[in-house]
Amino acid sequence: MSDLDNINPPAISNEPGSLHPINQTKDYLLKLLADMGFKEVHGPEIETEEFNFDMLNIKKSHPARQMHDTFYAEGKKNVLRTHTSPVQIRSMLESKPPIAFTSAGKVYRKDDDATHLPMFHQVEGIYVDENVTFANLKHLIHQILHELFGDNVQIRFRPSYFPFTEPSAEVDILSESGKWLEILGCGVVNPVVLENCNIDSNKYSGLAFGLGVERIAMLKYGVNDIREFYKSNLDFLAQFK
Amino acid sequence: MKINYQDLINFLSQKPSKEDLSQKLFQLGHEHEINGDIFDMELTPNRGDCLSLIGLARDLVVFFGKSNSIDLFDDDIEPLEINFENLSPEDCPKISFLEIEIEDSKVEYKPYLENYFNTIGGNKANLFTDISNYISYELGQPTHCFDAESIKTKLTFENKECNSIFKTLLNSEVTLKDRNCVFSTNDEIISLAGVMGGASTACSNNTKKVLVECAYFNPESIIGKSVKYNLISDAAHKFERGVDISSQEMVLRRFVKVTQDHAKIKSIKLKSISEGHTQNFTIPIDVDKINKILGTSLDINEYLKHLKGLGFEISNEIKAPPYRHDIKTNNDLAEEIARVIGYNNIKSAPINLKKITNDSNNKVAKLESLLVNNGFAEVINFPFTSKKKKESINIDNPLDSNRNNFRTSLRDSLISNLLYNERRQKESIKLFEISDVYTKDIEIKQQKKLGLIVSGRVGNNHNDFLKKLDNKYLNNLLITNLNEDVFEITEIDRNSLDTKKKDKIYYIETFLEDIPKSFFLNLRANKKAINFVSYKPVSEYPSSTRDFSFLIDDLHRVHAVITLLDEVSDELIKDSFIFDFYKNDKTKIVKLGFRCIFQSNLNTLSDIEVNGKVKEILDPILKIEGVSIPGM
Repeated sequence: MSDLDNINPPAISNEPGSLHPINQTKDYLLKLLADMGFKEVHGPEIETEEFNFDMLNIKKSHPARQMHDTFYAEGKKNVLRTHTSPVQIRSMLESKPPIAFTSAGKVYRKDDDATHLPMFHQVEGIYVDENVTFANLKHLIHQILHELFGDNVQIRFRPSYFPFTEPSAEVDILSESGKWLEILGCGVVNPVVLENCNIDSNKYSGLAFGLGVERIAMLKYGVNDIREFYKSNLDFLAQFK
Repeated sequence: MKINYQDLINFLSQKPSKEDLSQKLFQLGHEHEINGDIFDMELTPNRGDCLSLIGLARDLVVFFGKSNSIDLFDDDIEPLEINFENLSPEDCPKISFLEIEIEDSKVEYKPYLENYFNTIGGNKANLFTDISNYISYELGQPTHCFDAESIKTKLTFENKECNSIFKTLLNSEVTLKDRNCVFSTNDEIISLAGVMGGASTACSNNTKKVLVECAYFNPESIIGKSVKYNLISDAAHKFERGVDISSQEMVLRRFVKVTQDHAKIKSIKLKSISEGHTQNFTIPIDVDKINKILGTSLDINEYLKHLKGLGFEISNEIKAPPYRHDIKTNNDLAEEIARVIGYNNIKSAPINLKKITNDSNNKVAKLESLLVNNGFAEVINFPFTSKKKKESINIDNPLDSNRNNFRTSLRDSLISNLLYNERRQKESIKLFEISDVYTKDIEIKQQKKLGLIVSGRVGNNHNDFLKKLDNKYLNNLLITNLNEDVFEITEIDRNSLDTKKKDKIYYIETFLEDIPKSFFLNLRANKKAINFVSYKPVSEYPSSTRDFSFLIDDLHRVHAVITLLDEVSDELIKDSFIFDFYKNDKTKIVKLGFRCIFQSNLNTLSDIEVNGKVKEILDPILKIEGVSIPGM
């Protein structure tokens, strides 16, 4: 055996690719919610107005239903879902309480500027049982946010308005720079929505929440420009191995 | 909506500081930014009642007590004989008209009106329009001022089919289409109701006799018109969110009072028309229900005290104020109580759910693992395209004509991703996307597709550097146990693309449901736990590449050289790797090819900067005995 035979070539390291950071974050949130007892359900991105709006107590006059906010398709027969809530509606129609569902995926709004995209991702959850209260909602949201941002994160609830929840809240966390950052929307499920899904609102109540996946990913990874996620730039994507 | 802090605290008995006021506004759910004395409010769409000074004050009284009331004209007012017909009472169930004639319209504004225009109101127009704008700020009820001399014939309100040009009081022309609520005289539209009045009947500085229209328009009759005709209008914003259905006459009495503050009035006449009976919502008193919604233990006295503080009438039931269109159920009342208590002061209570195990070894997860383990990067693309196929889902209101269809294939998106990265000097590109696509036949069909595209080098290491991503590579990657041809590999013709690169492009697209089960049999999903790395911004400056060929004739030094090259690192070095390794049996010399790619986040690197870094890398290596770079 010559000296040359003893010389090993440089080690070849496997050069792995990467899952998209938005899908990684979405999967992480789904796993977190599964650990808390939420079962994932699926539904279409192209929806009817009935499931996207009517069943969720979003009245015909609500601004979100306007052509400048929502994409309509096929001669107004369909909409591109503006949230993943219709998935929960479809699932509630097929189930009886107690239920705990989570739905995740692409949603669409008619926006396109530096801070808003026409397509983004949501993860939403709903829990319906007897005696579910706003206090339960607060506990769950604290659990989620402590998992995401650590036990010491400061959390603030603010009243807000969503037609499908009442009371409704938006939740902020305090950033390191001392600024409150909006992180999710939530509320007690509006009894009208339960009744629309054939659930007796005198017996059952529910809580619901929705997280913007891009928002969470931006905060967790420190990405400042939401558009970076959708440039398909390998220098960007390779950072999330 | 902008509110002056000094104006707002006039209506509150305690005079809170800006900080205290701000804190309570947030507690109530009224987001805002503060600039000096101006609170720039962002109100939720259900709280149209708060779109005014008095509206916000009503919400804050529960914390800070009530002080001043609005000063109204209290005397009797002569009835107005007006030739008016309401042909659409369902769109406008209440409307009042006020006619005022003054002696001289050239007046000096009182400090409160002057201050409004100096801080919030913007440009003045004329006395009556300015009073109208001020009152909308103060009371939240828009009014419209017609020059009374311009209305000589019957005035009609109706929701009618339109196809005519309407010249607004701002002198812009819009073509009214479809159904609109309008005021007309002599078949001429003189006002787009709830949005903007017309030029032909607008007031001017010479107007001495005004006809003020003050109405409740059904929000559903007004919504969308302002955006449709691109007429930015404070009135439309308020009517769309609902104004106080009971306030029209009070508002007009305030109009008289403010006019009286500024001009000598010759005559005042008023007419109020109400179509149908309006009734406030009532809800039974049930504090247990409220506690059941919130998870609190409020007693009834505390509950009712909070509601009274918010303007609710309490008798043997709870009656919501007429301006609170949003209150209809106990859940609405629970939110009111929670706002007063403070959401953050409600104690949380755990729920008891059992952990769920989702299927993490499904087809998608297996494919993702296979591809990521072999160096593919996943991309996500927007689904919009200009390409229309028979089965495409058409978007009725696209962002633009290039995005008016839902894609039925991932191919164009992935080609575009590949070309983007080639332009960024990427030499080995392996991308994939897994996405639902939608097609229509009798009904809309949803199917999951995999698309993957490759071009360039297989890899940067010395084994793969000279190999090209091709048909064979993809076949080896995706071969099944049964050796079936599962995937159809297509070469994409570069001639049709905007590129000068020569590397061949290969593409695969398939429905997941078309991949046979056998393909997945030996695959395992092995996703890593997420690592939230701290992202480093991607440089937009060009990179600079340098290749070095080391000759090592002292074989004992080879390992040392490789170790040093592996350790090369600097903030200006984007990537480095050994791309060639050759042992010459005859000469007993080892040859190493090393590539270093330099890039800065701050600027385009000069040769001097790159050469400086090169020297830092090479010096320690070239000091090793028996190591050289030919020609250097």
